[in-house]
Amino acid sequence: MRLTIQMLISHGRVARKMGLGPESRINMLRNILTGLVRHERIETTRGRADEVRFYAEKLIDYAKKGDTDEKAMKMANFWLTEKDLIPKLFKVLAPRFETQPKAYTRMARIPNRENLDKAAMAVLEYKGNPFPPLQTAKRDNELTLINQLLKGYREQRAQQAAAKVEA
Amino acid sequence: MLLLCGSGTAVVVPRLASSAASVRLSAAEVRGRRSAVFSREQARQRSLYPRTEKIEVTLQIPGLQGTLLVMNKGLSTPHSCARHLTEWYVTSSALALVDGKPWSLHQPLTQSCSLSLLTFKDTDPLLVNQAYWRSCAALLGQVLQDAFKEDFSVELLSLPEVLVTSGAFCCDVVLDPQLDAWNPSEESLRSLTRGAQQLIHRDLPWEPLEVAPPVALEVFSHSRCKQKEVEEKSAQSPKGTVILYRCGDHVLLSGGPLVARTGLCSQYEVTAIHPLGEGKWGLHRRAQGLSLPLQQQAHHTVWRKLRSRAEKLVEVPTGSTNEAISDTLTLPSAPEQTPPHTPQQ
Repeated sequence: MRLTIQMLISHGRVARKMGLGPESRINMLRNILTGLVRHERIETTRGRADEVRFYAEKLIDYAKKGDTDEKAMKMANFWLTEKDLIPKLFKVLAPRFETQPKAYTRMARIPNRENLDKAAMAVLEYKGNPFPPLQTAKRDNELTLINQLLKGYREQRAQQAAAKVEA
Repeated sequence: MLLLCGSGTAVVVPRLASSAASVRLSAAEVRGRRSAVFSREQARQRSLYPRTEKIEVTLQIPGLQGTLLVMNKGLSTPHSCARHLTEWYVTSSALALVDGKPWSLHQPLTQSCSLSLLTFKDTDPLLVNQAYWRSCAALLGQVLQDAFKEDFSVELLSLPEVLVTSGAFCCDVVLDPQLDAWNPSEESLRSLTRGAQQLIHRDLPWEPLEVAPPVALEVFSHSRCKQKEVEEKSAQSPKGTVILYRCGDHVLLSGGPLVARTGLCSQYEVTAIHPLGEGKWGLHRRAQGLSLPLQQQAHHTVWRKLRSRAEKLVEVPTGSTNEAISDTLTLPSAPEQTPPHTPQQ
């Protein structure tokens, strides 16, 4: 093939290449996904975590259909290499995300790996896992001036709404 | 500045509250006299320390715990202590805590003590918020005094202590009887806001001065209701003294410490002036406003919502002039009362 500069620039190509080829990529993602379902929080490279996110959420969507569904069981069987996790998926993870429509996973970036490759790392987790939170949402102090004003505003609105309901 | 005239009549109305003064003084002259008495008293208090004696100030600031500063007695203020640190401390500190008591940034230190500087972003900014609210009300009073023409007298009543959660700071004022029929239009509120913004831009410090009641009575010799307020405050304070604050050339009384400078406010708007009905000194009016400091600016959508709330009349619980407010606050449209808010001292 022609060794052009255009080969080095992606020009809008969004599909990531991982491993030795497309089949290798799917196998790698399968392994990572199995690890995620087993441990609910894993640490991988950033690119792999980003790829697995899509599949992790799609797997939950399939699991929500229930284990009696033919297609759902086939998907779970394919994607989870350790078969003892299939009941966990249908009985623990699917009910946990019943109320949420999407966004079952959270990805947080962490410092680069200490090895020679200095790979950019990320932590991927299913929400609602039993571990302590990764990043606490930075909330401004409740007692600052602007928050106190907003608190008073919200209370007044609530009281007005209550008064309207009564009337 | 403000150009307004309700009736435009040329009736000579006796000045509102002048007891001893038979000569009708203009507002500017009254202000000049008050400022002169204030400066005189300030110079006298400074001359009480002819030789510079040193005091040791221990800092209680996160990151600088235990740092010892050697400052001058009767001359150094927490502001000068902050200047020994970095510029950030000077610009961000709004109030100081000396031995646990709230202290204005420009009030001189008189003995060795521990000092901590408070900002708006502390974990417990209740004192600072209350001081800021009081300072904004004082600024509003100053703007109102400046705003009207020389023919109309403006009498500032006490600045009521309002909680921050009520949505607006208030300043009770009694205008000239000629203006009884006047109601502020949006244009006049906007020009009042502009006056306030000019004061903020000048970045004037609020200089505190602790004085004995006779001196305070002399300062407010042309205003009977201010003299009454001085008497009330001196009766309430433990030492019998009254703290006056001067900003530019206006001298005013306040219920507690004020923040360091006018430049700390950034968004400031005068939202409404509500008539309260006939009172002791004439038609009482409540001027309300909303303000946010430089470090806590709001997005314009949030500001608009807070402003529309600040236009409504804020009811003040009667008889609450101390800092430790534990009364409930009734909002006009609320069927039940908000829970009590107890700030720590």
